[in-house]
Amino acid sequence: MTTLQANQLNNTGEDPQNRPQLILNHTDFGSVTDDILKGNDAAKPPKSWWVALAISFSMMSMLGVLIGYLIVTGVGVWGNNNPVMWGYPIVNFVFWVGIGHAGTLISAILFLFRQKWRTAINRFAEAMTIFAVICAGTFPGIHIGRIWLAYWLFPIPNQMDMWPQFRSPLLWDVFAVGTYFTVSLLFWYLGMIPDLATMRDRSTTKIKQIAYGIAAVGWRGSMRHWHRYERAYLLLAALATPLVLSVHSVVSFDFAVAQLPGWHTTIFPPYFVAGAIFSGFAMVLTLAIPARELWGLKNFITMRHIENMCKIILFTGSIVGFAYSMEFFIAWYSGELYESFTFINRAFGPYGWAYWIMVSCNVITPQIFWFKKARTNIMIIFIASLVVNVGMWFERFVIVVTSLANDFLPSSWGIFEPTWVDVMTFFGSFGLFMTFFLLFIRYLPVLAIAEIKAIMPAADPHGHGHSYNEMTPETDAQAALEEGDA
Amino acid sequence: MSSVKKQKNTGRTWWRSLDEVVESPLFRKKVQDEFPDGASELLATGNDRRHFLKIMGASMALAGLGVGGCRRWPKENIVPYAHRPEGTMPGIAEHYATCFDFGGVAQGVLVTSNDGRPTKIEGNPSHPDSQGATDSFTQSAILDLYDPDRSRGVTYDGEKSSLPAFKEWIASYLPNDGSSVAVLSEQSSSPTFHRMRRAFMRSMPNAVWVTYDPLANTNERRGLALAFKGQWKTVHDFAKATAIVSLDNDFLGAGPTQVPNTRGWATNRNGSHGSMNRVWIAEPSLSLTGANADERIAVKPSRVTAIATAIGSAFVGGDGVKLSADEKAWADRVITDLKHAGRHGLLIAGASQPPAVHHLVASINEAIGAAGQTVSYTTLDSTYKTSISDLAEMITSKQVESVIVIGGNPAFDAPAELEFEKLLASLPLSVHLSMYNDETSQACKWHVNRAHWLESWSDGKSADGTVCIGQPLIRPLFDGVTPSELLATISGLATTDGQTLVRATFGAGDEAWDPQWRTAVHDGIVKNTASLESPPVNRKITPVTISDDIGVTAVFTPSSSVWDGRHSNNGWMQEIPDTITKLTWDNAAVMSPATAAQLGVKQGDVITIQVAKETVSIAALPVPGTADDVVILPLGYGRRFAGRVSKGAGTDIYPLRRNGVWSANAKKITATGDTYPLATTQMHFDIDSTPGKGTQERLPLLFREGTLDQYKEHPHFAQHVGHTMHSLSMFEEQQFEGAKYKWGMSFDLSSCTGCNACVTACQAENNIAIVGKEQVLMGREMQWLRIDRYFAFESDGHGGWDGDKLSAVAIQPMTCSHCENAPCEEVCPVAATVHDTDGLNTMVYNRCVGTRYCSNNCPFKVRRFNYFDYFRRDPLRTAGMLQVQPDYYVKSQSGGKTLRAMQFNPEVTVRMRGVMEKCTYCTQRIQKVKIAAKNAWVKLSDAQKAKDPRIALQDGAIVTACEQACPAGAIVFGDLLDKESRISKLHESDRGYEMLEELNLKTRTKYLARLTNPVDGSNGAGGSHHG
Repeated sequence: MTTLQANQLNNTGEDPQNRPQLILNHTDFGSVTDDILKGNDAAKPPKSWWVALAISFSMMSMLGVLIGYLIVTGVGVWGNNNPVMWGYPIVNFVFWVGIGHAGTLISAILFLFRQKWRTAINRFAEAMTIFAVICAGTFPGIHIGRIWLAYWLFPIPNQMDMWPQFRSPLLWDVFAVGTYFTVSLLFWYLGMIPDLATMRDRSTTKIKQIAYGIAAVGWRGSMRHWHRYERAYLLLAALATPLVLSVHSVVSFDFAVAQLPGWHTTIFPPYFVAGAIFSGFAMVLTLAIPARELWGLKNFITMRHIENMCKIILFTGSIVGFAYSMEFFIAWYSGELYESFTFINRAFGPYGWAYWIMVSCNVITPQIFWFKKARTNIMIIFIASLVVNVGMWFERFVIVVTSLANDFLPSSWGIFEPTWVDVMTFFGSFGLFMTFFLLFIRYLPVLAIAEIKAIMPAADPHGHGHSYNEMTPETDAQAALEEGDA
Repeated sequence: MSSVKKQKNTGRTWWRSLDEVVESPLFRKKVQDEFPDGASELLATGNDRRHFLKIMGASMALAGLGVGGCRRWPKENIVPYAHRPEGTMPGIAEHYATCFDFGGVAQGVLVTSNDGRPTKIEGNPSHPDSQGATDSFTQSAILDLYDPDRSRGVTYDGEKSSLPAFKEWIASYLPNDGSSVAVLSEQSSSPTFHRMRRAFMRSMPNAVWVTYDPLANTNERRGLALAFKGQWKTVHDFAKATAIVSLDNDFLGAGPTQVPNTRGWATNRNGSHGSMNRVWIAEPSLSLTGANADERIAVKPSRVTAIATAIGSAFVGGDGVKLSADEKAWADRVITDLKHAGRHGLLIAGASQPPAVHHLVASINEAIGAAGQTVSYTTLDSTYKTSISDLAEMITSKQVESVIVIGGNPAFDAPAELEFEKLLASLPLSVHLSMYNDETSQACKWHVNRAHWLESWSDGKSADGTVCIGQPLIRPLFDGVTPSELLATISGLATTDGQTLVRATFGAGDEAWDPQWRTAVHDGIVKNTASLESPPVNRKITPVTISDDIGVTAVFTPSSSVWDGRHSNNGWMQEIPDTITKLTWDNAAVMSPATAAQLGVKQGDVITIQVAKETVSIAALPVPGTADDVVILPLGYGRRFAGRVSKGAGTDIYPLRRNGVWSANAKKITATGDTYPLATTQMHFDIDSTPGKGTQERLPLLFREGTLDQYKEHPHFAQHVGHTMHSLSMFEEQQFEGAKYKWGMSFDLSSCTGCNACVTACQAENNIAIVGKEQVLMGREMQWLRIDRYFAFESDGHGGWDGDKLSAVAIQPMTCSHCENAPCEEVCPVAATVHDTDGLNTMVYNRCVGTRYCSNNCPFKVRRFNYFDYFRRDPLRTAGMLQVQPDYYVKSQSGGKTLRAMQFNPEVTVRMRGVMEKCTYCTQRIQKVKIAAKNAWVKLSDAQKAKDPRIALQDGAIVTACEQACPAGAIVFGDLLDKESRISKLHESDRGYEMLEELNLKTRTKYLARLTNPVDGSNGAGGSHHG
């Protein structure tokens, strides 16, 4: 059935007769658990983890200090001005929300589409989503002028009988991001319960036993547990799927609903969603490549997983490129003076440099993934994923800043220059993100152990030859049904 | 209960039970039990008195010890208004007429006082010059009153002293006959001051009197002395003129007569009767007048003189100097136009022109019959026998050993070659009367603090000679004295009290309430005291010498923000963008783009300019429309005294200015390679850049203008510039059903000169903060009303524009347009900006959380955000992390924490950081009138009420701050539901247009297209500007 070789790393073949394995070098379940939890089980994490945590934690602390400074002094510590009233905070917000996009896509949509390669990456993609949305949520909160009144954005009954203004896309944002975060968190946690139980059972210290015991909410792995768990997981996946499209569509409404040339575009919702998936996958790669190295997960996150992600990046990157060109086309085709100016100015005006960084990172760079050599070269992929992250940040910068900087009346045109607080706050948000991520890989099951086991040949003792093509977290009846079809 | 029962019931009666009707004892008990626990015990008397005391005692103890009692309430001292003065009502603002002197012309003002604090200055409607309008200096004067940097007392050699000590010292040390004594005074029109001058000269006959003002029009005075003999100055009536020819005179720009000039000019600018005046100007810098002129030529100052001789030769003979082709063509057309205009012509020469030109101009005006019509003269009451240079010589030769400086700041602004600061410092006795402990005060032995004019009794003469009386609005905050009082003291007069002196000059009777005196003080002016003459001109032409000036000429101009430097510690004036350069907080070397290219510099590059032996380093600022080979250097910046606002603002140009000249040959100009940040409020974009082209492309849509001829042919031209598709709104549109009023505003682009008076008036009225240069550089200025300035260029013939050929300057006031479909309102997540029924787009500060989304969605970008607590920040703070809240203005200042806050308009919220703000159409002024009208309305009979269900207000009853200040009448506010109102008519007039109409905003502010009147008005808008 398969050519299972010791230490086979290249499992990227596309021969349907000879489908490569998704899990390498493992034939039994026990070793899978041992290998995945190696990092968690170790009495002491590797030195590199400590170094990374130290750096991340200092950056996170810097973020805290900067936010404190901001609250004490005022939002004027940033470079925002008139006309560019939104600067780095909103750019960062959209950037992080975009990154948080891949998680739900992998967990929900790929699940529903029965893409079993998702099992190796869904857990930390979801974790990444949670942390990215936390980073994203920080920015709109601290970016408002009177931070202590941020709760007025929520529809809380109050003595003034004063409700938020429901026509404002910012309010829709609050709901969209809030819902997305809640569902993503539930989804993540729910998927983790069996693995948390595994960790509880392997715990050697009292504290761990209690902590994982509480987190595992009494999971015993009974058939009834599995049955309900899989139903719930499927339902949540179905629930989360529309959110993949909604959250970034709503974020794009912040811009599309405004009448500013460069923002007021109907193409924004699909374009933002594609861009978000694009950046989300790039970030998954950026995290997965060092993580599989550091935590010894190469047998689980294989070249094939990475290659698949490259293909998605290529696809969504091309959608994004198409959207860029359509924006220009429509601007020209509309014959609208302000609209056409905005786009010509984007490319050739004072912020032309940012525009061309964006185009070269987001449109040109992913095109190397047409070549299999590039798709299977870890170094190239890692660099490309970083470049895409940079490009996607610049995309948001271009949209937010250049449109605002040159709008209708030339008298109010301005130039936005970030202050050191802007830049350091942005870096600080990476500290927040990475700190969470490092704590996650040390203390939580970094891969979905239970799901991975289900796609191994060992999970299909009857040897139908394509058992790994089937979904794991399903009832036996469903599996049987599919086997029957086959 | 019985009383309740007996009450007359008008409606149906409800009982809780039948028991209540019969008042059964059980029910009585129930009612008693309904009250809170212990309430019945409290009400009880007799035996329960101890109980009552126990309860009350416990309550009071708890109140004292509890949370409420422990709180430290801010400790403040208040003054009870135990005996309310007759006619005053706390909280109701009062208005007093007064006046002050600016450059020898009394400015008549009406000051608003709130509970004893002067808070706002308006023009005096009875005053012939002001007629209710003001300029921006006048508007900002209120801030000077509360300037924390004002000097707080008399000092001797920098040590604290007192006025009695000074008086004693003067009495004993000043020589009795005045020998070796000199008085150096700034220009004044005050009769009392001149009476005191004469008194002083009588008491000290050997003393020397010197009048010096760095920006005085000395050339005109000398020219008119040639023409008429004696001391004269010209008074112009622009309203009567149809052809106005200015030889480098920025009569619409900042200056003592800006207000009457602007009003006169504007009366004939809207083309309503098919005619307009035509303004010609030859000048080196692009002045406000130049920007509003119909026919302009940019030439060096020496060429202006040459053009003057050419014009002169056509009217009064004399030899015209050879002109270049462009100059000749221009001069020829001027001659034709002046001949055509005849007595409606008006020729005016600037201070930069030599006396001979002023003499020539007087002759031409007489020749065309303009004298007595558009041009008149009035005598000056002062002595000019001794100049400041003479004084310097006397000091050097020890002829003068004591100098009393009254006002002014000669140590800063005297001609450079005199080194006056050193001379003053070398004197054994020197006195300076000044509001600030400034450069001159520091050079002098004695500094006497001067009372602000709002604290003084004074008088003066307006441009046409009408006498004005000035009364104080407040007791001197720091016990200052006025110039007249100081002179009276030094002269040893028996009475030195300001009011007595002014009364005596006026000739008021002895009884305290002389009705004539009362009327004069009340009105602020003495009626029928104008003294205009037009004496015959000495026809003997003074020969004009024209220097051959090769190379670059340095031209010295007054600053439109700080004038000669006197306003440099005024934050409003420092932060007001110059209309043409849009520069704040600095002066710069303004030059034409071609000259800048020649020098190899761009905006912000530092150049050094050498005139004679002195050099000055200053940042360059290319401005289209400036004459080539000219560098314009505004004076008054670079103050050396430690004012917390003036510190570090700009470069001192006075070292280059020798002998009070207005231009000099710049020997050497070099680019240093350094750059200096210039805080302009509008970005400069190269004409070939994408934004530069984009600006030119959209300019015809935004700023609509046409020539008078075009207007006559197509009166609706302004409405047919762009195509507008009326689209549906995404949300339901506001219907304004049941609205009683429909507020609207209009800006007439034809008569707006861009003088900035409205901007400062708005700042004063609405408690708008200044932010400091660093924040302006970041684009965070707060003025609600701004003046947009665009340069329109001529086509380069290849679909582009020629950045060297200025075709027009567009000046457009811009503030919140109160869109009916306001884009800002749709996007605010907390409903902090909402419409009221009258159509105001209101801003609810308390509700604003500061998402700033509204500003992003505002197509005019007129919203202003408080990035910091600007009222608590030092505007000059250098960015530093630890300087979080220095509480600059509001707290912990010596001299009272509320000094700055005293200026605040009590009817307008002072905004904190984190909230958005913007123009409210002066909602507080609207409410004031509305409330008064409603109060009157409710007292009407029902029949009268039915006749006026809307409580219609009289048109013009509500005047916004900007409208009130505008000398051109370019701003009109009113009710659009009143079809007879001015605003309704203007909104429906031919020239009315909406900004960005295609966005379906339905703005309540409309613009009236600008009309120009070039000689050949058939092709293209705008005059023929030669850059």
